[in-house]
Amino acid sequence: MDRGRLTPVGWAALLLGALIMVAPIVWTLLLSLKHNGELVGHSGAALHGPYTLENYAAIFGNSSTLRWLLNSAIVALGTTAGVLVLASLASYGFARLEFPLRRTLFVIVLLGLAVPSQAVILPQHQLFAWLHLHNSYPGLILPGLIAPFSVFFMTTYMRGIPRELDEAAMLDGASRFTVFWKVILPLTAPAQSTLAVFTFLGSWNDYWWPLISATHSDMYTLTVGLAAAQMNYAQTSGLGYLMAQAVFASLPIFVVYIAFQKQIVRAMAGTAVR
Amino acid sequence: MATLELSNIRKAYGGTPVLDDVSLSVAEREFIAFLGPSGSGKSTLLRIIAGLETLDAGEVRLGGERIDPLPPGRRGVAMVFQHYALYPHMSVRENMAFGLRNARVPREEIEARVAEAARVLEIEAQLDKKPAQMSGGQRQRVAIGRAIVKQPRLFLLDEPLSNLDAALRMRTRVELAQLRQRVDAAFIMVTHDQAEAMTLADRIVVMNDRRIQQVGAPMEIYSRPANTFVARFVGSPAMTLAPAALSDGEGPFARVRLASGAEVETRVPRAGLPAGDGLLLGLRPEMVSVTAPGAGTADAEVMLLERLGERTLVYARLAGGQDVTAEDKGDSPLRTGDRIGLRLDGAAAHLFGPDGAGHHAEAAR
Repeated sequence: MDRGRLTPVGWAALLLGALIMVAPIVWTLLLSLKHNGELVGHSGAALHGPYTLENYAAIFGNSSTLRWLLNSAIVALGTTAGVLVLASLASYGFARLEFPLRRTLFVIVLLGLAVPSQAVILPQHQLFAWLHLHNSYPGLILPGLIAPFSVFFMTTYMRGIPRELDEAAMLDGASRFTVFWKVILPLTAPAQSTLAVFTFLGSWNDYWWPLISATHSDMYTLTVGLAAAQMNYAQTSGLGYLMAQAVFASLPIFVVYIAFQKQIVRAMAGTAVR
Repeated sequence: MATLELSNIRKAYGGTPVLDDVSLSVAEREFIAFLGPSGSGKSTLLRIIAGLETLDAGEVRLGGERIDPLPPGRRGVAMVFQHYALYPHMSVRENMAFGLRNARVPREEIEARVAEAARVLEIEAQLDKKPAQMSGGQRQRVAIGRAIVKQPRLFLLDEPLSNLDAALRMRTRVELAQLRQRVDAAFIMVTHDQAEAMTLADRIVVMNDRRIQQVGAPMEIYSRPANTFVARFVGSPAMTLAPAALSDGEGPFARVRLASGAEVETRVPRAGLPAGDGLLLGLRPEMVSVTAPGAGTADAEVMLLERLGERTLVYARLAGGQDVTAEDKGDSPLRTGDRIGLRLDGAAAHLFGPDGAGHHAEAAR
């Protein structure tokens, strides 16, 4: 049997699966293109025209949404950059350097994987309050830099890079930092891009910590802002606007998925290392 | 003047010693091969010279300067790794220039040196390629080129041919031999392939069990092995070592008796040999020829035949149970199970004492 060819039943199953996945997205998109008044009473009006872009125009007319978008971008990009820098440096140490308690420290980092963020949320909240970091970008970014999985992921990847390369570089007169910067780091690019995509998406979609830390509306991220808006506009007359906000908030994620499809699939398949 | 001087090198990993009091002098422009089985310490010794391993005791001097406290990049050595160790994200040109850039060599000089090395190694057309776009042989040339451009005082080659197929290995071996004529530096190559060591090296350092077993020119190692390990390890197939007892006699040369009762008159001086039993008679296959039964030194039964074209190796068993490897010309008519006679050429035979030390025929001097 040709392993690459699907049977009709297989095609039907795939089609059904795809429909189930795509239907909510299409439904959201259709709702966002309807006048709010038309959706009063029954949202089924979204299935036929006329359609309008007035909800999207309203978003751009609302300075809060753009502000939240900017906040989300700053927090997600800041967290991603921070995680990449810290995870790379820590992983190089764990993968290549000999120092006392190296194994113990690595185990402690891995134990971080077992601690749910909810378990530390109260002391974390208090700590940030003492440091006056709430309602600030550092306050929103710093907790995201605690990334034990990223360190574990990068350490595993770096361990897969032959040590002979480090040795060749040292014989070529490279310092430890030059070996890291010019030889090892460029070779971790596939892992870095995978990590960047997941960290960015995780940070962009994060709701829990920004909800606690950002109490001023001008420091809301998009997720917190949209949730707040949902509370204000929960009546049916605002449904189209609400859906337009959801589509708008999803766009960056959609772009990231399209741009980094290869890395995401590779990471999902567990083949990012090597 | 010695280029490299190793003095009383000791190294242990945890409680396991891997090098025990190793000393060696390498002359200017000399090509040395470290030959030995896996775990003999030869790669560790090379890595100590390179600075990739620390030593527990001893000294390494290069050109009179003590280099063992220096980092690898400041020792004046270059190394070609077994798996090439080319930087995959850099082009060939960048690979070759990397070390020179770290040493802050002026750009014009870097370009000139890279161009010259590429010309010598015939990789000028590959300079802008990445290693992944090249064949194994080409990568090996780049690895050699990366070493050449640094103009080191000493080249270290860690099993440089082991990843190449048989044909390319032969060709690269010849090219290495030509290269060393052009380069004003000493070479140390680690290998477990004795053919490589025999053809390339001025001297072979045979290592086993943490120590140097013998240092000598290739033919000296082959024809006058210092001990039973060297006798067995160098030469293919291995030398036959048959238990023997010294026969009574007054002559200047030893006459020994094998377990089968056969007696062999050697050219090994009797003086200096330990008295009594416990000797081993060493015979290379070319010292043992096939005769008709009863016409040789001893009779034997053919156990196995290896037909190599120009000669046939005959693995035979003497009456006492001793296995002996003999050589027959061309495509031998013998068959497994045949009864044959073996003529043991005592004039070229070796004797090894109970301590394993070799005693050799005078004629072989």
